[in-house]
Amino acid sequence: MVMACRVINKRRHMGLQQLSLLAETGRTFLGPVKSSKFITDEECHGNVLVSSTVRLLESLDTTSAVGQLLNEAVQAQNDTYRTGTTTLLFLAGAWSSAVEECLHLGVPIAIIVSVMSEGLNSCSEEVVSLQVPVHNIFDHMGSTKAISELKTVSVSLGPFLQDSSGASSVQEKHDLKDVAPRFTFYSLSGRPVKSSEFFKPDAKIEAGENTSQTLKSSLHTDTCFRKSVLVHSRHFNRTDNNQGIHKPDRFQELHGATTFQTYRCSDLAELAVGLSHGDHSSMKLVEEAVQLQYQNACMQHGNCTVPFVFDISRLITCSLPGLPETFSCVCPGYIVQVSIACAGLIKELENRPIRVVLIEGDLTESYRHLGFNKSTTIKTVLGSVKLQEDSSEELWANHIMQLLIQFNVNLILIKGNVSEHLTEKCVHSKRLVIGSVDGHVIQAFAEATGAVQVAYITQVNEDCVGNGISVAFWRNPLEVIDRNNRIAVLLKTEGINLITAVLTSPVSAQMQTKEDRFWTCAYRVYHALKEEKVFLGGSAVEFLCLSHLHILAEQPLQKGDHTCLGWLHHTSSWLASSLEIYRPTVLKYLASGWHKYLSALLYNTASYSSEFEASTFIQHHLHSAIGSGSPSSYILKEYSKLNSGIFNSSILNKLEQFPRVYDVVTPKIEAWRRALDLVLLVLQTDSEIITGLGHAQINSQKLEGFLFL
Amino acid sequence: MVNTVKAGFASHTPNMLSRLEAKKPSLCHSEPLTAEKVRATLCVLKGILTSCYGPSGRLKQLHNSTGGSVCTTSQSAVLLRNLSVTHPILKILTASVQNHVSCFSDCGLFTAILCCNLIENVQKTDLTATTTIKLNTHLLNFCTSYLRSEACGCRIPVDFSNTQILLCLVRSILTSKPACMLTRKEIDHVSILILRAFLLIIPGNTEDPIILGKSIIVPLKGQRVTDSTVLPGVLIEMSEAQFMRVLPVRKSSPLKVALFSTSLSGDFSDLGEGCMVVSDGVSLENAVLDQLINLGRQLVSDHVDLVLCQKVIHPSLKQFLTLHHIVTIDRVGVMLMEPLSKVTGTQPIGSLGSVSPGSYGSVKDWCSAKFGWKHFFHLIPNEATVCSLLLCNRNDTAWDELKLTCQTALHALQLTIKEPWVLLGGGCTETHLAACIRHKIYKEPGSILQDDGCTQAELQLIAEAFCSALESLAGSLEHDGGETLTDMKYGHFWTIQAGPPSVVNWTDLLSRCGCGVYNSQEELSWSFLKSTCHPFVPQACLPHETEEIRPQSTHSLTLDCLTAKLSGLKVAVETANLILDLAYVIEDKN
Repeated sequence: MVMACRVINKRRHMGLQQLSLLAETGRTFLGPVKSSKFITDEECHGNVLVSSTVRLLESLDTTSAVGQLLNEAVQAQNDTYRTGTTTLLFLAGAWSSAVEECLHLGVPIAIIVSVMSEGLNSCSEEVVSLQVPVHNIFDHMGSTKAISELKTVSVSLGPFLQDSSGASSVQEKHDLKDVAPRFTFYSLSGRPVKSSEFFKPDAKIEAGENTSQTLKSSLHTDTCFRKSVLVHSRHFNRTDNNQGIHKPDRFQELHGATTFQTYRCSDLAELAVGLSHGDHSSMKLVEEAVQLQYQNACMQHGNCTVPFVFDISRLITCSLPGLPETFSCVCPGYIVQVSIACAGLIKELENRPIRVVLIEGDLTESYRHLGFNKSTTIKTVLGSVKLQEDSSEELWANHIMQLLIQFNVNLILIKGNVSEHLTEKCVHSKRLVIGSVDGHVIQAFAEATGAVQVAYITQVNEDCVGNGISVAFWRNPLEVIDRNNRIAVLLKTEGINLITAVLTSPVSAQMQTKEDRFWTCAYRVYHALKEEKVFLGGSAVEFLCLSHLHILAEQPLQKGDHTCLGWLHHTSSWLASSLEIYRPTVLKYLASGWHKYLSALLYNTASYSSEFEASTFIQHHLHSAIGSGSPSSYILKEYSKLNSGIFNSSILNKLEQFPRVYDVVTPKIEAWRRALDLVLLVLQTDSEIITGLGHAQINSQKLEGFLFL
Repeated sequence: MVNTVKAGFASHTPNMLSRLEAKKPSLCHSEPLTAEKVRATLCVLKGILTSCYGPSGRLKQLHNSTGGSVCTTSQSAVLLRNLSVTHPILKILTASVQNHVSCFSDCGLFTAILCCNLIENVQKTDLTATTTIKLNTHLLNFCTSYLRSEACGCRIPVDFSNTQILLCLVRSILTSKPACMLTRKEIDHVSILILRAFLLIIPGNTEDPIILGKSIIVPLKGQRVTDSTVLPGVLIEMSEAQFMRVLPVRKSSPLKVALFSTSLSGDFSDLGEGCMVVSDGVSLENAVLDQLINLGRQLVSDHVDLVLCQKVIHPSLKQFLTLHHIVTIDRVGVMLMEPLSKVTGTQPIGSLGSVSPGSYGSVKDWCSAKFGWKHFFHLIPNEATVCSLLLCNRNDTAWDELKLTCQTALHALQLTIKEPWVLLGGGCTETHLAACIRHKIYKEPGSILQDDGCTQAELQLIAEAFCSALESLAGSLEHDGGETLTDMKYGHFWTIQAGPPSVVNWTDLLSRCGCGVYNSQEELSWSFLKSTCHPFVPQACLPHETEEIRPQSTHSLTLDCLTAKLSGLKVAVETANLILDLAYVIEDKN
């Protein structure tokens, strides 16, 4: 084994260049108007349609060290927050070229690291002023009327962005109206305007007892009915003042007297529209899912005194490619595709409560629980010569069948795989077997029916069996049968805390994208509800960062101001004393990252013909914002102008319902941090050490620039 | 039929006939250090290590260039583990540094760079190996006895009634690893957590000898660093389904715990070579399960409340125990066995036979907790010295680096109990030591020479090599082209921007010395580290003086662990001596 070492940071930083090149690929995904990409595999002639950063990086060959670090950072952001990856990718690229510029100017690396992380920290603190509290969102749950009206309003994307695609939602609504009455479930299109209709009981599934509960809850929502109004909150004003006292900022002092409208978001529909970022159809589904979960929680607890928490793990998707978009909907319960061969069985099981068994592992003869090692050195000898009539698999299957009959079980949900032989046997004896069921689904059924999950079906006793599940076709089976001869089935039980979002698309290549978009929306709402705050969106936050950094760069360093020194105050190195010279330059380069971000965003929304034009527009606003003294109040003022219809005169008459654009807080700030961390990590790296190379590999590779040990 | 036999036979032939080959003669290189190739590789290795040193050290990307994971680091432990060196001299060097790191965690780069510097400097002197080794050993002894003596001017006593010094030590270690990617706030947060974790493992009673407990680092990747926390007791990760099953504690008396180290999964232990023959109709699996259920019955009749198992518990046994209100947690893992046994006072049970009542232990309480996306079983002991440090960082690479750094910091804190002193960091100890040696050689060379048959000139040469090795080690902290200086009063380490105007007042250009104790306003005079200057008596920072400094600047003191640094110094000099002493490398070519 030989190890090679390559210096990658001589004059031009290769790592940073690679990073900005890689990040360039995700440029078009920024903003609400995304352009998809075709990725073609030259060797296999395979094509993939991608429209998100995560999918793009999955399909790209990023075997270089920097590419892998980028991939790792994006994956980590995606795993933790499921949103913000495009921001991460873009800023990583923009900042790596900004850092490269700094290097050209001869700024010491340690100073770039220190000033940039200080600058970002300062920005993260500054943007707190653009946070909007999300409180009491479920007080307005009954106000479906208000929601419906909102639907027709085109979404504007903040003070600087106009959404060109917004108008399409209106058209969509009309199209969908026609198919509504045939729906038996609460669906995107079939949403009734009045709340009483919203709870229209499904006579087929919900028996008498259910109806009274539904009525009760609809009564409840009626009493909750309140029109959503944006109020000036004195409380919120007060906290603002406190901030001014806490942090004697010279601009705050100067402009403390300026009063501007304070915002709060207290309506789910408003929040959802704000967080949809142009993807109305996905967001509608998410919004309905949240409402369904809320209503279910209210029913379970009898009242709404327990604070409702949106549990995203109890939301699952069922993708049905080949069906028209209008079939998309959310419904309580579990929708899953089964083979057409089960159609007759489903028909038989309909309209009666069914008993269920939940299996944690596989349902096969050879399955043993995790950690059980099958010994290979044990041999079985036959004691006497007797004719073996059945195989062991057959014996096992018969045994299982006996158990199922004994406990009168008609439905088996299995987390793992199922023996095909057994499935067939079960279908013959009118029992439905469903394998590869998500763990959360099994958990939800366990909670709702009182069933206990077991590893082996032989463990089943009367206490393990759940009761009261209803099985039905999802829609008319003839309508929704797919190419693989599979039909969708709905399993539900009273009060089950599980919601399935059915995603449909006539173009099956778009299925993945649709699913990704749905989850992005769902996680945005999830984070907003969890954190109880959102940012004013439409790139207001980024614009504030941009102008804040420019102001920060002009401010002289105060002696003893540790926060300005980043980590450098620990070192007594000369860097600390020469920080003042380089600081403005580095901060301006950091700001240039945001400038690029904003121009790309504006350009992508197609309101500008070139990035240069967009850039000029931003420059203009930047001057005004800095000139005004307090960028945050400038931005808030622009927002109120927007509300009073200066930018959008068409919505003048719907002032109070005008939907704002929102952004999630922590995922956004974390995406910035991760992007900068990645850039600074690459910046501080001076060589790559390649381990485990064979002699042959080294000889065949280009040896230029490598050192060997 | 015939064909298969033939094929089988053919495939066996090579194994049966061992080929005989004439043995190759061994290769013998004399004076291995003089070889150009060795010097070059040693130089590359030194370059890699030096560039990593200190808080502004450069990072290294370690990867296999075929799509394996990329590790970004500047820590000697990770670097040396992954470097595969070929030459025996490099192997000696890396092995002894790795050995030092495994014992003391800290000061690995210090050791390796000092060793390289010494070898390089001594080679320039043209003295015989015996003389150099003798004199190096004398100088080493002088250094160690000075650093341990009361007169030592570069160490500070650790005051355990105050957290300041300890926090500075932890913070210095955290800042010296830039690949952790921590901001100032995060460094403060993690420092406090590490100190709390350290305090939690010190037993309450002060019986001699003090046996320290254990702090377990629990990973939680993807979350923010500031979400990290320290909890007393043990955190065991579990699945969501298990999480839902954990029942709240219903009684107030101590809860009885059984801890199994054997697998309760119902499989059979490895039978080895042999083969077991079972007659038809006998189910071994059922037999083992019966035995497990019997064990379960005993646990129930012994009123056990909690069953912990290192490996897997059979689902049926779990079901049986849950039915009797016994909480079961399996797949605990071997890492947690020792702390669990300590916390609960249990004897790990290693067989399925009957359990002796003496094996049971007890805990005060337990609860289930959720951090990030993970579910944990939190075991709260009666009184024990085990704590869990739930450590978060944004991604895998940074987390791995942070974990290692936290372990280093915890270890350094533990070492201060044994020797309650810390050394001034940031290069000041090295330049101060060099000044001391220079002064000693100038004033009373005889005290170092004793009667070894070495001349004073030889001593002068070696001492110069030794001192400049120390000074260039301190100089390795500077990576951005600054000039390195030392002051002529305390012998501390200072840096300045390269190419300063000659007539400028240095007091204004300099800010603080490396460790942060002195600032430039103290009427000092400086000289460049590379230039020769007249020897002077480096003054000690007197205890009352440090008291004075403390209020305003302890926050920014850079400190090093005394024990680790002393060992590093010793290992570096002795390894250098060993390498210098090598006359032949004999290589077996077979």
